[in-house]
Amino acid sequence: MRVVVADDSMLTREGIVRLLRDAGIEVVAEAEDADALLRHVGSARPDVAIVDIRMPPTHTDEGLVAVRAIRADHPEVGALLLSQYVEPSYAMRLLEEQPERVGYLLKDRVLDIAVVVDALRRIADGETVIDSTIVSRLLGRRRRADPVGRLTEREREVLGLIAEGMSNKAIAARLFVTERTVEAHVTQIFQKLELPESADQHRRVLAVLAFLRAT
Amino acid sequence: MSQSLVVTVTFRWTDRKRIAVGALGVVYALAALAVARVPIGTSYAARSGAAGALVVVAGLCLIVGGLVVTSVEPTRRLGDLAVLAGLAWFGPVWEGWLAGPPVVRSLGMLVSVFTFALLANLILAYPTGGVRSRPERSFVNAVYAEALLVAIGLALFRDPFFDLACWANCTDNVFLVWSVPGLARAIVLGDRWFTVAVATALVVSVAWRLASGSGSAARALVPIVAPTVMLAGAIWGRAVALERTPVEDPSDPVFFATFVLGCVGVIVLALAVVWAAARSRLHHRAVARIVTDLREVPAPGSVEAALARAVGDPELRIAYWLPALGRFVDASGAPLAEPAESPGRSVTTLAREERRVAVVSHLATLPDLERELGSAFRLGLENERLQAEALAHLVELRASRARIVETGDAERRRLERDLHDGAQQRLLALSYDIRLAQTAAEEDGDTKAASLLREALDRSHEALGELRELAHGIYPAILAEAGLGPALETLADSAPIPVEVAARAAGAGRCSPAAEAAAYLAGVEGIRDAGGRGASFVTLSVTVADGWLVITVEDDGSERVSPHVALADRFGAAGGELILEPRRIRGEVPCA
Repeated sequence: MRVVVADDSMLTREGIVRLLRDAGIEVVAEAEDADALLRHVGSARPDVAIVDIRMPPTHTDEGLVAVRAIRADHPEVGALLLSQYVEPSYAMRLLEEQPERVGYLLKDRVLDIAVVVDALRRIADGETVIDSTIVSRLLGRRRRADPVGRLTEREREVLGLIAEGMSNKAIAARLFVTERTVEAHVTQIFQKLELPESADQHRRVLAVLAFLRAT
Repeated sequence: MSQSLVVTVTFRWTDRKRIAVGALGVVYALAALAVARVPIGTSYAARSGAAGALVVVAGLCLIVGGLVVTSVEPTRRLGDLAVLAGLAWFGPVWEGWLAGPPVVRSLGMLVSVFTFALLANLILAYPTGGVRSRPERSFVNAVYAEALLVAIGLALFRDPFFDLACWANCTDNVFLVWSVPGLARAIVLGDRWFTVAVATALVVSVAWRLASGSGSAARALVPIVAPTVMLAGAIWGRAVALERTPVEDPSDPVFFATFVLGCVGVIVLALAVVWAAARSRLHHRAVARIVTDLREVPAPGSVEAALARAVGDPELRIAYWLPALGRFVDASGAPLAEPAESPGRSVTTLAREERRVAVVSHLATLPDLERELGSAFRLGLENERLQAEALAHLVELRASRARIVETGDAERRRLERDLHDGAQQRLLALSYDIRLAQTAAEEDGDTKAASLLREALDRSHEALGELRELAHGIYPAILAEAGLGPALETLADSAPIPVEVAARAAGAGRCSPAAEAAAYLAGVEGIRDAGGRGASFVTLSVTVADGWLVITVEDDGSERVSPHVALADRFGAAGGELILEPRRIRGEVPCA
């Protein structure tokens, strides 16, 4: 697994790089702004680019813009956005623009390096990754007429994993059940929530996130 | 107002003098009629009874109309000019008095020369009585100078006996010094074409003043248009006819037509002069009466409106002078440029105890406002100036309140950034170091250190979470970066009670940071308050329409008790308003 890391704070960037190297990830280049990042991605062709959402010059959404450029120029390179904001809006905007091979994780998730390594592998495999903190905040949102309340405990668990971007196969592995069982749960969930079941795994992540936000 | 070169009459009219001059004028006109008709003289008036009556009516219109106009102060000078023009008007009749003394006929010839100069001056001085612009003043002076030269030249050198084109007076010139028929002829011809040029210039001048003046200034000129065109037509027609037939002949239909046109032009001109005076008189009365239009507590601008109505000048403007702020404002306190004179418009400074109170920009024909306005009106004016001053200060205060709030918001946003880029990043980097140390300790088999480091990691993780919430509370970055809709959704994500954000909010366009911050805080405050009043849900809806951002926060809790002063201040500072109902908050704020 080869990655490029972009973060304008040297301390944070070094910490991330050391944790990744400890976990056996090959960091091929480091960048402190979007321009350097795009240069390194072009020359080093990593599997995934790890990008801070807030970078110079305006410190707003340079990371999102850079991911758009990377995905447009190098479709085979995945992108993992790192952010300090528990903002579903950012994650959803990322998925709206790039439905596959992308992820949105909080920066403190890097402390649990195994999660990051798993996320990098899933992104490299073409899946999407959404931080579990964001998903649990959306799942925990209070609702007046609560369709999520009609789900069983297990179904809620599966719904959360879908929102985190996992495939049925990954969910089955996580819950130690067969893929067929997961498929049954998914059908139940989508029926109860009155959501059209999409064959496209990438689209269903955004559909679930949008559903959780809107009701 | 400086006067023209020749006519600088500073005659003091009284009613007795007017009656005397009027009576003399009538006698003078009737005498002229008698002279023209018995026995038949050589003038147009002599041609028929109707022609004689036309001449007398035109002349009397100028004399009597002029006398009436001299009683109205601002247009007094028009009256002087009209009376003089009326006296000169009968010159040709005296010149054509066949049985008259040679000296009278000679004087009649000379006086006639000045009629046109006086009429030209009258047209250019209309409607104020003064010729305002320097080029126009020079022009009038040149016309008088030419008339004077022509009169002198004819007096000294014209021997009527040798004048081949003579018709009205072919015998008498008592002033003749040296008979030079060629020179006299040249003078007559030169005068004729000079007059044609002046008549053309008059038409152009009136047209230009009509086109360049403001609406009400142009309207004041309308009465002068027809007489100017008629007089110019008569002059052109006569000049052209004389080219064809060198000897003037009143019985020729073309000559007679130009004569009639000229007479009618003079009559209409006299009526226009009376009209200008009547209008001015009307304004004068209205200005004196104006106080009754001002109610006890007039709304801002009612003094200006009352004055504008009274004098019939909708473009009249009052600019109040505020010495403390060093600028002019209108009645509502909004800044104005210092009023300046323009074609047809004047400015008058109104003072009170030698202090400048206001400057009025008005039609040039208006009465002397400084003198005409009553003391009660001045009190109203002073009152409105004070009101305007208070309003101007209010405008300043509003702007400063908005600036204070904006500065506060900018400061909070900067703090949030500093936290994000500083403390949060450092704590994050420190957590990464602890994590690395923990891994190293585990690899070394130092279980005690590893567990201590794990605890430290957990605490730093908690601290990171708290710091993140703190930064979000100081200023939600999502509000500035993604707008009100996403920011309110995030608010709803972690609210303790169900919060529905109306779909319109997501599609709502961006507004100014101050407006969005006010609306966001209405959401924060509304949710907190609803929770405190035991509500089971809150509905937030945001719309942007007609330049206004409107947020409503509705819930089903008990009745509201909090007045939400800070939130109301927020909306006030952004130029908006907060409306509180028992279970509903409605905040309105200008979007831009």
